[in-house]
Amino acid sequence: MTAAQHAPDWLLDDGLAPDVNHDPLAPLYDGSARGELVLPFCGSCGRPLDLEQPVCDGCGSFECVWRAVEPAGTVHSATVMHRAEPGLVHADAPYPIIDVELTSGHRLIMTTLESTMLPPTIGAPVRIAFRILGGVAIPAAQPTAPSETEATS
Amino acid sequence: MTAQAAALVGLGMTPMSLKPGDTPLRLACEATRSALADAGLTHSDVDGLLVGSSQGVRPDRLGVAFAAQGGFSDLRLLEHVEIKGATTIAMIQRAQLALETGAARTVVCVFADAPLVAGKGAGSTYAHSGGRTGARGLERASGLLGSVPTYALLTNRWMHLNAGTAEDLCAVTTVTRDWALGNPDAVVRTPLDADGYFASPMIAEPLRRLDCARPVNGAVAVVVSNDPAVGHNVRLAVRGVGRDHPLRHRRAGRESWFGGGRRAVDDALAAAGMARSDLDTAQLYDPFSVVTLLLLDEYNLTGGVPAGEFVRSGGTAKGGALPTNTGGGQLSGFYLQGMTPLAEAMIQLRDQGGDRQVAGATTALVGGIGGRIDHHAAMILERTA
Repeated sequence: MTAAQHAPDWLLDDGLAPDVNHDPLAPLYDGSARGELVLPFCGSCGRPLDLEQPVCDGCGSFECVWRAVEPAGTVHSATVMHRAEPGLVHADAPYPIIDVELTSGHRLIMTTLESTMLPPTIGAPVRIAFRILGGVAIPAAQPTAPSETEATS
Repeated sequence: MTAQAAALVGLGMTPMSLKPGDTPLRLACEATRSALADAGLTHSDVDGLLVGSSQGVRPDRLGVAFAAQGGFSDLRLLEHVEIKGATTIAMIQRAQLALETGAARTVVCVFADAPLVAGKGAGSTYAHSGGRTGARGLERASGLLGSVPTYALLTNRWMHLNAGTAEDLCAVTTVTRDWALGNPDAVVRTPLDADGYFASPMIAEPLRRLDCARPVNGAVAVVVSNDPAVGHNVRLAVRGVGRDHPLRHRRAGRESWFGGGRRAVDDALAAAGMARSDLDTAQLYDPFSVVTLLLLDEYNLTGGVPAGEFVRSGGTAKGGALPTNTGGGQLSGFYLQGMTPLAEAMIQLRDQGGDRQVAGATTALVGGIGGRIDHHAAMILERTA
């Protein structure tokens, strides 16, 4: 392997990057690489499915369709992680983790796009962008209120 | 009917160690020997063996090979039971059903775990497990390492919905520590007050180190029989078991951690012919302080008082309305998954609790939760002789 072409992620070691080629979430990572948030739906009744759910709990269909959704949602819950696991986390300050309710009906856990972003409160709106970890695009939250994206002024 | 009821007739525990050492197999051997001795039995008396072990942390987890390795004779029942933190109660339930149908007569249920390995703290061990694929891989690639941040998200959501506070978490942690002071098997036995709690390092807001269970290397084994001639002179009847596996999906506009559990307790009580007011003590599965609060509510154990208020006013403490996690729970006692609450219930109902004995305790609720509170199990035990 040659040296990575990308800048290091602000938060994590590249070793935590998903192995995209052998991953059940490959459609999500493929979409993320294009800048699209791609998530699974039932191909029969349209219900949003969990990330690893081959059979629809609504209609029993085995047809799972991944498609791009609006990259927006609200905060279901959030925390600030103080424990920086040696070898895995290289951020030097506590970092946010956010559980987002997407407008598509899915839920997704993500950190923020940049280190300086404060975790939004429950119910706050967020937009979804992508950070790059070991060459893999990973969904990340951006608070939608512009003032919150500036840690200092 | 009582002569036929499945009873817990033997209990064996290894020392609970905070240091790397024995393998799960070795620990299981020792706990089993101790449980059989407690029941007045030998390995050759056993015709059923159920083994439990935790997922993922180490490759040499206990399995059904224990039957051959552990000195047993031919068996009529042998299974590895796995339903995460509900496994212990599931094992007892499995044993109960086997006894009722005659599939087995004397069943050993054993759980062993040894997550502490040389050179790593417990938190580090869990942070490095989970893999890089699937939904968990995506979560880990987003910084959700180990189980603490998941439960921190859950805690903040629970607080948001229930007007919970850090003082509630503090109350659970200090009351549970008070109980641990009376338990020689507890791994943390130094007094803790609110100042000490709030000085504890933050792991994932609002959870501090002291809000988290203390993993240990250890094992517990229990012997289950319905033969009135067999076992410890204090018989603990399994009066009822309830299970609930709410299949919640992670979707917008709904909760994914809460709800469920009450049916497991309702079903266990119904089988026992008891009401919540008949319970002398509750032994809940408390990997994090918030879980005690959440379960007191979900199991409807506080008579309608909000769980935080119930704990802050002493409801779970010595002399309270429902002494809970009386050995210090998983927070201060030891984290051996479902065996922690089961072992403590047996000790209390045998009147062996010493300084933390709940006077006159004859009935106990034992709880188990698994995953991200996706699995609930409840069991009612009663001292019959």
